[in-house]
Amino acid sequence: MRAQGLLDEPPAALDADHVCWADDGERPLSAVAERFLVGGLARGERLLCVGDDVVDGLRARPGPLAAVDDLIARGALEVLPTAAAYTGGSGFSAGEQFAYYDVATARALADGYRGLRVVADVTPVAADPAARAELARWEHLADDFVASGSGMSALCIYRSDVLEPDVLAAMAAVHPLVHAPEDVVPFRLFFDDGGLVLAGCVDAFGADRLHAVLTSSPGSWGPVATLDLSGLEFVDAAGCRTLGQWVQENAERGVKTQFVDAPRLFRRIWQLVGCPQVAGTRPEGDVE
Amino acid sequence: MNSLLDSPVEGFAHEAFLYREDEDFLAGVLPFVREGLARDEIVVVAEPPARLALVRDALAEDAAAVELLDMTEIGANPGRIISVWAAVVDRALAAGRGLRGIGEPAFPERSAAELVECRIHELLLNTAFDGGPAWRLLCPYDEQRLPRTVTAGALVTHPLLTTPAGVTPSAEHFSAMPTDALGDPLPPPTDIVLRGEYRAGDVPAVRRTVGQYARSAGLPDEKVEVLQLAASELATNSIRHGGGGGTLAMWSVPDAVVVEFSDTGRIDDPLVGRRMPPPSQEGGRGVYLVHQLCDLVAVRSTPAGTAVRVTTWR
Repeated sequence: MRAQGLLDEPPAALDADHVCWADDGERPLSAVAERFLVGGLARGERLLCVGDDVVDGLRARPGPLAAVDDLIARGALEVLPTAAAYTGGSGFSAGEQFAYYDVATARALADGYRGLRVVADVTPVAADPAARAELARWEHLADDFVASGSGMSALCIYRSDVLEPDVLAAMAAVHPLVHAPEDVVPFRLFFDDGGLVLAGCVDAFGADRLHAVLTSSPGSWGPVATLDLSGLEFVDAAGCRTLGQWVQENAERGVKTQFVDAPRLFRRIWQLVGCPQVAGTRPEGDVE
Repeated sequence: MNSLLDSPVEGFAHEAFLYREDEDFLAGVLPFVREGLARDEIVVVAEPPARLALVRDALAEDAAAVELLDMTEIGANPGRIISVWAAVVDRALAAGRGLRGIGEPAFPERSAAELVECRIHELLLNTAFDGGPAWRLLCPYDEQRLPRTVTAGALVTHPLLTTPAGVTPSAEHFSAMPTDALGDPLPPPTDIVLRGEYRAGDVPAVRRTVGQYARSAGLPDEKVEVLQLAASELATNSIRHGGGGGTLAMWSVPDAVVVEFSDTGRIDDPLVGRRMPPPSQEGGRGVYLVHQLCDLVAVRSTPAGTAVRVTTWR
């Protein structure tokens, strides 16, 4: 089981971390990045900093990562300026991002590191309305890659003083670990153990967002898509119906859907709003 | 055969039947049921358990051909009974069979607030099924144990009155039938009321507030989560269809916790939430869920605004 939940403090390093850190100004970003990266260094992972401010902040701190140039020289730390990471002339592309991190992670492993631990300030991309949908798609794709045992972990920084709450919500929704105000991040959809996990609250105001993430999901399910609902704290009629639509869309692609640990109220609502007729599935099990 | 049962049915026949003793009850109900069975109709009897047992015993082996429903379950909240009958009508149509039902929503054990909602339910049955397929619904009323206002009200809400002499039009229905089923005001709260306003962005807070209040009032977890769902659906409706926001009021009475959502919107369809929306319909399931899951739901809507009062029994 991956680490997941809402965070108050920067997390210690574990396998398959994927953190959304909505910066609230309470802690220096460099301190957040340092804690995340130091753990990776101790675990024998290569570090990658994306964003000029992140690296500058590390240099200014007295901790073990202050010797940035030494770390770079021995290959333990790589630095990617924001401009190089996100503007290649053709706009932001989830496919290009995946290609880059796939190669970078494989290279870290080939060089003898245990994996690749990334801190990226993604605020400039999220601030661009034209790039947001693709960024959310990339974050979800990246979560699949991180959860798959690739060796990559990531902490994604989103600055609350720059981004609107709905933008933060859209980006945080596709991370298992989130530091953000609770009402800003009602639900999280992420990968674990070969399936998807939906945690938190899905109501009428978040149902469209959930549908967008579900339909953008990589979808390499094989014959059965699994959705773990054990962390689903609340769902309303609109949320239930959104899940029904997804089940139906899966069925149209020849993919069965299985819910795991669906809460009692979800099961009742599922029956009452007619999802079995729409999706042809039982709330607690396989598609008929 | 009793002559009162021989009248041909055109459209929906909504009949009040007043009785005083068990014998009167069975004398009206049994011929009605047996005639339906003789005609190979689907026959559904929805009664409280004691009356259900009476019918079952009296029908003997014929009882196996009758669908017996516990009205205290399917109609615990009167606002969900129409959806039950609608499903039965659909099933009869699909099977190409006739249909008759017996439904006693206003049984004597009901609280005063429930009896008011039963009256609205009876009014709305006409709205729901008039102009649709032909079927008969006989609604028994216990003249001996129900308040006089309730039995008198049955003559207003039912177009037909069934008596030993036959089925006759109810004069009171045609002279006193209100045109606005949701227009009567709700009685004011009888205890200290906690109030708060909500608007866009407040729905999670409304859920939390209602949940905390319900928990502090001693409701069990299952009822708390249902009430939170109701809060979410009703606050969402206010925000989306009721002028952008509304007012939440919460109070306790000895046997119940009450939450009420009011806004400046107007409900155009008096049957909202009483019938299951078709699978293809995008929205409209919120009030339906509230009716299905909550103990007692009272909806009122006038040009001045809409109020939905949800009562949860302790």
